[in-house]
Amino acid sequence: MAKAKTQVSPEEKIKKAYVEHVLEHGTRPASIFKFVKELKIKEEVFYESFNSFENIDKQIWLDLFQETINRLHTDEVFEEYSVREKLLAFFYTWIEVLKSQRSFILETTPKAQKPDLKPANLTYVRDAFKEFINDLMLEAKETEEVKTRPYISDRYEDAIWVQFLFLINFWIKDDSRGFEKTDAAIEKSVNLAFDLMGRGPLDTMVDFGKFLFQNR
Amino acid sequence: MKEQSKIPTSKVQRAAKFVKTGAKVGGNYVKHYAKKAVNPKLTKEGLHNDNARDIYNSLSELKGSALKVAQMMSMDKNMLPTAYQDKFSMAQYSAPPLSYPLVVKTFQQYFKESPSAIYDVFTKNAVNAASIGQVHKARKGDKQLAVKIQYPGVASSVRSDLKLVRPFAVRLMNLNEKDLDHYMEEVETKLLEETDYELEVRRSVEISEACAHIPNLRFPKYYPEMSSPRVITMDWMNGKVLKEFIKTNPSQEDRNKVGQAMWDFYDYQIHSLRQVHADPHPGNFIINDQAELGVIDFGCVKEIPDEFYDPYFRLIRKDMLTADDTLIETFKQLQFIYDDDTESDKVYFAGVIKEMMGLLGKPFHQNEFDFGDDNYFRKIFELGEVISESKKFRESERARGSRDGLYINRTYFGLYNILNELKAQVITTKPEWAAKVAV
Repeated sequence: MAKAKTQVSPEEKIKKAYVEHVLEHGTRPASIFKFVKELKIKEEVFYESFNSFENIDKQIWLDLFQETINRLHTDEVFEEYSVREKLLAFFYTWIEVLKSQRSFILETTPKAQKPDLKPANLTYVRDAFKEFINDLMLEAKETEEVKTRPYISDRYEDAIWVQFLFLINFWIKDDSRGFEKTDAAIEKSVNLAFDLMGRGPLDTMVDFGKFLFQNR
Repeated sequence: MKEQSKIPTSKVQRAAKFVKTGAKVGGNYVKHYAKKAVNPKLTKEGLHNDNARDIYNSLSELKGSALKVAQMMSMDKNMLPTAYQDKFSMAQYSAPPLSYPLVVKTFQQYFKESPSAIYDVFTKNAVNAASIGQVHKARKGDKQLAVKIQYPGVASSVRSDLKLVRPFAVRLMNLNEKDLDHYMEEVETKLLEETDYELEVRRSVEISEACAHIPNLRFPKYYPEMSSPRVITMDWMNGKVLKEFIKTNPSQEDRNKVGQAMWDFYDYQIHSLRQVHADPHPGNFIINDQAELGVIDFGCVKEIPDEFYDPYFRLIRKDMLTADDTLIETFKQLQFIYDDDTESDKVYFAGVIKEMMGLLGKPFHQNEFDFGDDNYFRKIFELGEVISESKKFRESERARGSRDGLYINRTYFGLYNILNELKAQVITTKPEWAAKVAV
């Protein structure tokens, strides 16, 4: 028993106690001072890992994200997927992982009046996600699943980030059994995204327009 | 210019009313009547074509139950002009496939394992799309399997989808609002049942075991341990679907063999089991090289309550239709006519329905029936046309016919249609009490 205890890092311990507090009281702890006192650790120990409660929020989200990526890579078929399928698999796994912390997420997500493109609690996730998408996009451009277009193609990551936020919000509000509607939303929105990013009638139109412009 | 002054105002008003509803269909009517004003010989065929296209276009963007209703309407030849019907037959092929990750996710959700762990081989792409799901081919050991997977969220969208089709249904099937409520409830419960794959497996096993003794009939084996509320695993059936089978121009002997198996299957279900595979859609039958009939998809099973069975099937006896006093009583039980109808209404409805039942019962009045007889079918469609055009039926404030009849009629129309396409001659076995008075 004693051995097992030492293996839990103070960071993990703080996170766990924090989540429990939020779930039980419905709010964040009143102050760091009060929180560490209840947890029976020194305040310095807290500051070694985090410097605010917001900081813990961010870290918890990042953990969820890492968990998703790890799960994806344990599935051997993942590498064989097309990029479209990889993104789909990512979102399905992501929502699956989020389920484990749904109460916490519902409690801490600010009920924003207007859509916020850079929610504070997702700052860490945003960086990690962008890196992940960046890799996917590079691969997609290689396999030509996504078409390189001047100016626009640099913004694809941002577009997918918006989609990412949209899906989280959709899932938060989803009241269907087993979150089936979120599944449908993922399926449809990813397909739409890739149909838009891939070669389509618009490219042919631009191409034809260019031709006319140059040759009249 | 002379012709233009002849436009009957009522028709213009009717056209205008449709425009007001905002449906494109209205536009087509305007177009039609405008054309008709110039060319009075114009038939309704063009109008039906336009309507079918527009309605199909809006429906094909929907998945799930709306699609299902489209399919269902496409089956009732008597209710639907040919133009609609051809368009709607396409509906079954248009649903976009589920992505493989979603398939994996569905498996994870119900079995905590991915398909590649459950089966030895599993095709990543769907081999077949159905209206509320898709079929993958798989192999486990030496068994070829068909795995049916349902789209997410179908069950929860049934109700809203049905609301969406409502206005189309009113226009399409020429039903009044009262009738529609009457039937929509029945359709809704059936559709909800169809989304319950566990129920489907139970029923499939039940019916296929009960019907195992019928010759030339095959059923896939179902695997409940590899099935869940949204996944069904069953044996893969080799063979051709009905349309392809007919295209190969099979011998009359084979046609009769398939037709006979079909007839026996339905006869046994309706009269002995009292529950019936109510989806005799050509895509649900697979015929192998030995001309044996395979039956798949027990999503839609209608249980026949006694209080409907008794009066309804009394009508297939030939002597019944001539005995006027008891006939009226039977019609009342089936809600074709009501006690407080006016005398003239009673006579009118009884007359039409008597004619209808006489026609539909015809195969039962003989020992053998040639379903290849197109004349017979033309008569049915003509009578159907009469009913759907009939002012009395449309303006009737009550639904005519019990709601249980909806699926039973659909089943018989489907069965007759298939047998007609097969051009099969069938020995029309029937329950003993009906056989006594036949011939």
